[in-house]
Amino acid sequence: MKGYLGIDVGSVSTNLVFMDENGKIREAIYLRTRGQPICALQEGLRQLAGRLPANTAVRGVGTTGSGRFLAGIIAGADVVKNEITSHAVAASTLVPGVQTILEIGGQDSKIIILRNGVVTDFAMNTVCAAGTGSFLDQQAARLNIPIEEFGNLALESTVPVRIAGRCAVFAESDMIHKQQMGYSLPDILAGLCEALVRNYLNNVGKGKEILPPVVFQGGVAANAGMRRAFEQALGLEVHVPPHYNVMGAVGAAILAREKMAGGGTSRFRGFGVAETRFKAGGFVCENCPNLCEVVEITREGEVIARWGDRCGRWSGSLGYQESAV
Amino acid sequence: MTLKVGIPRALLYYYYLPLWRTFFEALGLEVVISRPTTKTILDAGLQNSGDDVCLPVRLAFGHVLDLKDRVDVLFLPRMVSIARREYICPKFLGFPDMVRHGISGLPPLIDPNLNLYRKDSLYPFFAALGRNFTSNRLAIYLAYRQAVYTQTRYVQLLEKGFFPEEALAVMYQGLTEGREPGGDGPTVAVIGHPYNIYDPYISMNLLSRLARNGVRVCSAENLPETLVREQAARLPKHLFWSLGQRMIGAAWHYLQSPGVDGIIHVASFACGPDSLTGELISREVKRRGKPFLNLTLDEHSAEAGVVTRLEAFLDMIERRQFLPARESV
Repeated sequence: MKGYLGIDVGSVSTNLVFMDENGKIREAIYLRTRGQPICALQEGLRQLAGRLPANTAVRGVGTTGSGRFLAGIIAGADVVKNEITSHAVAASTLVPGVQTILEIGGQDSKIIILRNGVVTDFAMNTVCAAGTGSFLDQQAARLNIPIEEFGNLALESTVPVRIAGRCAVFAESDMIHKQQMGYSLPDILAGLCEALVRNYLNNVGKGKEILPPVVFQGGVAANAGMRRAFEQALGLEVHVPPHYNVMGAVGAAILAREKMAGGGTSRFRGFGVAETRFKAGGFVCENCPNLCEVVEITREGEVIARWGDRCGRWSGSLGYQESAV
Repeated sequence: MTLKVGIPRALLYYYYLPLWRTFFEALGLEVVISRPTTKTILDAGLQNSGDDVCLPVRLAFGHVLDLKDRVDVLFLPRMVSIARREYICPKFLGFPDMVRHGISGLPPLIDPNLNLYRKDSLYPFFAALGRNFTSNRLAIYLAYRQAVYTQTRYVQLLEKGFFPEEALAVMYQGLTEGREPGGDGPTVAVIGHPYNIYDPYISMNLLSRLARNGVRVCSAENLPETLVREQAARLPKHLFWSLGQRMIGAAWHYLQSPGVDGIIHVASFACGPDSLTGELISREVKRRGKPFLNLTLDEHSAEAGVVTRLEAFLDMIERRQFLPARESV
C-alpha cells in the first residue's frame, strides 16, 4: 500500500494519520503529548508501523501543529504547515461546501471562515486559553468524572445554570459556588459548556459571519455537550466530521499529497526513527544582548537542527530554516 | 567639547529623525541615537515604566535608559499635535513627564511643546528649542530651514517605497540601492504605527519574514500625505488622531488598489486608538473582501503565534489565487 503520512503535534495531543492514494484515511492514532512531543511522535510512529501492512510505502509526509517544526525534523517532512491551513484543507476536503470551521484543541481555539472552498478569514485565541480543552480536562478532573463522560452528562441537563465564561478562573469559582448551592452536576456541566461557547463566540468568533454548513472539530468536538451548546447559540446544525480529533493530521496528509503530486522522493526518515535516539537541548546565546534561547535537536549525538535565534547565526549554520515565514 | 544630544530610537523617531538630527547638527551639536531594540533594552523599559502604559511607550523608556549615561542632554519633544485640529496620543504628550518622574539620574531633558493644533508653522517650536543651545537667532533660523529641507527629502524617499530605516541609511550611510525590488510573490500592505512595524524586535521581524517569502511589502509611509488624507476624509467624522488617520487613509487606499493582495494591521496591546482604527479598517475590509490579518503585539508575544498567523495569512492569499487547482484535491 502507498500513501501519505500526516502528523499533528499539538500541546495536548499528538495525532498521526495514514491516508492512501485515493484520499481514504486508513489509520488514525490519537495520543496524549504529555509534554514530551518527541516521545509521543516516536510512539505514534511505532504504533502506526505495527498497524500498517509490511509493504507500506510512504510517498510523502506533512506535519502541523505547534510542534510542527520539531516533528518535521524528526520524521523528515516534505511539507510543514500551520494548523489553520491544515484544518481548513481537511474540513473542505471531507465536508465539501463547508463555510465555517469551529476548532477547539488543547490549548488553542480557532475559527476559520471559508467561501467557495477557500479560507477568507480566520482568528485564533490570543493569550487566554479559557474555553479550550485543557480547561475542560481540568474541570472534569476536579469533579472526578472521566472527560469522556463529560459531554453525555451535560446532555442530561434540563435547566443549565448560568456560569461566567469570560475567564477560566472566574468560571471555576462560579462553578464551585453553584455546586455548593446544590445544583445538579449535569446542569452545572451544561452551564459550563454554554459559558465556554459564549466565550468562544465573543472572543474568537467576534465579528465573523458564521454560515452553514458549520463543522466542529478538534479534541473538544468529542464533547456532545459543547456541540449542543454551539447549536443552541448559533441556531444552526453543527456537524462533527469523522476523524474530528485528528483533522490537523488529515490536513497535513492531504497537503503532503498535494506537494508530492509532481513526483519526487519523500524526505521521510522511515518508521525506524521511532527507535533512534533524539534529544532536544538548548543553550542561551550570549553573542548579543538579546540572549536568545537556542533549541538544539540531536540525533544519535549529531546536531540536526537549531532554532530560536533571532539573527540566524545558529539556525542558518546548518542550512535549515525554522519556518518558511 | 561638542554637546551630545540623545534621541531615543522609539515612538516618532521613525517620522521625524532627519528633522531633529539636521537641526541639532546644524547648530554644531552631536546627535546620539539609542541602539536598535534588544531584549535588554525592552526589559529595562518594562521594569522602569508603569504597568498601565502601552508597549511602545514602555519600550521608549528602555531607549531613554540606553542613552542616559552616554549623552549630555536628552531630547524628548512633547508631541501634542502635528496637524491642525488633530492630536497625537496623550501618552506621547505625557511622555517627558513620565520619564522625568520614572527614571532617576537623568541628564537634563529638553522637552519643548510641539503643538500645531491651531497653527501651521514649525518655526516657533524650533526657535524655542534652539534657544537652549544658542542665542544666535540667525543660526537657529538657518538650522530650521535646513532641517525642513532634509525632512522633505526623507519624505520623498519614503514615498518612493523606502522604509524609514532604509531611507535613513540612504541619507546618512550613503546607501544607494536601498531595498531590493521585492520577490515574485503577492503584494501585502502592512498598516500600523511606525514604531511597531519598523522595529524588527517588536514586530518580530515581520517585514523581513514577509520579504523572505517573496512578498512585496508596502506601508502607509509610502503614500503621500494628501492621498492619505483624501481617503481618511471619507469617514463620517474627522478623525482627530493624526496617526490613526494615516493608518485608515492608507488602509482604505490599499483596499481599493487592485495590485495589493492583502492587508496586515499591526496593533499594540493596550493601545486605545489602535482598537478603534483596527475596527474601522476591518469593517471596510469586510465590505471590500480582501484577505486581512489583525496582528496584536505585546511584550508576551511568542514568535510562534505570529509565525502561525502569518503563514496562514499567506496561505490564504496563495490558495485564493490558485482556486482551480484546489478543486482536484
